Amino acid sequence: MLRTSHRLLVLPVVLAVGALAACSSGDEAPQGAAGSEAGVLRVGTEGTYSPFSFHDADGELTGYDVEVVTAVADELGLDVEFSETTWDSIFAGLEAERYDVIANQVTVNDERAGKYDLSEPYTVSTGVALVAADNDAVTSLADVSGLTAAQSATSNWSQVATDAGATVESVEGLTQAVALLKQGRIDVTFNDDLAVLDYLKQSGDTSVKIAFETGDTVEQAFALRKGSDLTVRIDEALASLRADGTLTQISEKWFGDDVTQ
Amino acid sequence: MTGDTWDLVVSSIGPLLSGAIRGTIPLTLISFAIGLVLALVVALARLSRNRLVSGAARVYISLIRGTPLLVQLFIIFYALPSLGLVIDPFPSAVVAFSLNVGGYAAETIRAAILSVPRGQWEAAATIGLDHRLTLQRVVLPQALRVAVPPLSNTFISLVKDTSLASTIMVTELLRKAQEIAAPTYEFMTLYSLAAVIYWLICLVLSTGQSRLERRLDRFVAH
Repeated sequence: MLRTSHRLLVLPVVLAVGALAACSSGDEAPQGAAGSEAGVLRVGTEGTYSPFSFHDADGELTGYDVEVVTAVADELGLDVEFSETTWDSIFAGLEAERYDVIANQVTVNDERAGKYDLSEPYTVSTGVALVAADNDAVTSLADVSGLTAAQSATSNWSQVATDAGATVESVEGLTQAVALLKQGRIDVTFNDDLAVLDYLKQSGDTSVKIAFETGDTVEQAFALRKGSDLTVRIDEALASLRADGTLTQISEKWFGDDVTQ
Repeated sequence: MTGDTWDLVVSSIGPLLSGAIRGTIPLTLISFAIGLVLALVVALARLSRNRLVSGAARVYISLIRGTPLLVQLFIIFYALPSLGLVIDPFPSAVVAFSLNVGGYAAETIRAAILSVPRGQWEAAATIGLDHRLTLQRVVLPQALRVAVPPLSNTFISLVKDTSLASTIMVTELLRKAQEIAAPTYEFMTLYSLAAVIYWLICLVLSTGQSRLERRLDRFVAH
């Protein structure tokens, strides 16, 4: 009796130790290691935003932003270490010092520039509105007023939709917004033309179409904590990568086009 | 289902299972084990005659049961660093889930202890067992039998709750599904596949429940 009840109390401990042993043998990429190490550039990125930051067929993290920030780290003589997190928590992670820079098509705007350090832009794109293929009623921003849009909560596109007078539903990202569009639950979603073109190309989806371009060019940059000593160094690295053609080369590879200026 | 989708399903199974084996399953087992020990301590504290001890346990249980698990995770992962406490993703998830199980299972264990008839305590006293020995040899074994079904519920819930860890950079089953879905834009397929795997994990992990119940029947006074 005594032995049995002891054994029952020992069981959870044995389980825990076993499970710990089982998972400590994992060789996963380091996940948001605490504390900054010298010689490492710690980067926060989504890992689910194609073609900027996503996992290829072999499960390797890749994409335009991933390659640009890796080139920047090389230029600075630093190893790069990625932490992957959802977009809506990406700034929380930066503030919590889970990583030092965000490489995830962060659009430059005044609000962000006030709160964070932004590098020189490395992408220039435009916004597009995506609607169902049979929707001919939406041809400009003026038509968006009173419609329902879906955007990820903290993205600049959410602001664009709100400013246009749409009711904005929060979703995880472009793919989820497109699904809602196809299901007729929303009328429109705004996003970066590069992301939308990639989606249309990769998925062969003909049930949605680009209704119009928002007309504003948007610039994307790396985001760092306010007053980070890395900002200046990253800008210098970007400048030399621009000068020697590396940036253009990476852009050509992903978009068949120079989207860096 | 087109051939392409089928190929994607086949090629995704490996990575998804690795997410389950490296993330979902260890997260569940470690958190449940720690949570159970914590729950026993909290349940005994709740039953303590010391006002301060039982009050503290009561507040803890109320806090855990009265706030969303996702919020608890976010506080541990994103808010504690502002107090200078930075915990890595996986341990953060373990801490959050253990605390959560600790709160819920404590109530289960407390109720199970109270379900053991008063006469058992008195009988134990008559043969000269002190409080600790009575608890250890007479009451807890019987309480455990009562607690198994509700604890199994907590355990099964935890398997699925670990999917929340995907929001704090832990690469578990759901996160793996999202990673594969993003470049292929096949979210429906991947989420369905993830659901099937969660279900299988729950089936496998809960097979032990009825056997455990039968084993523990020995301790119940008939």
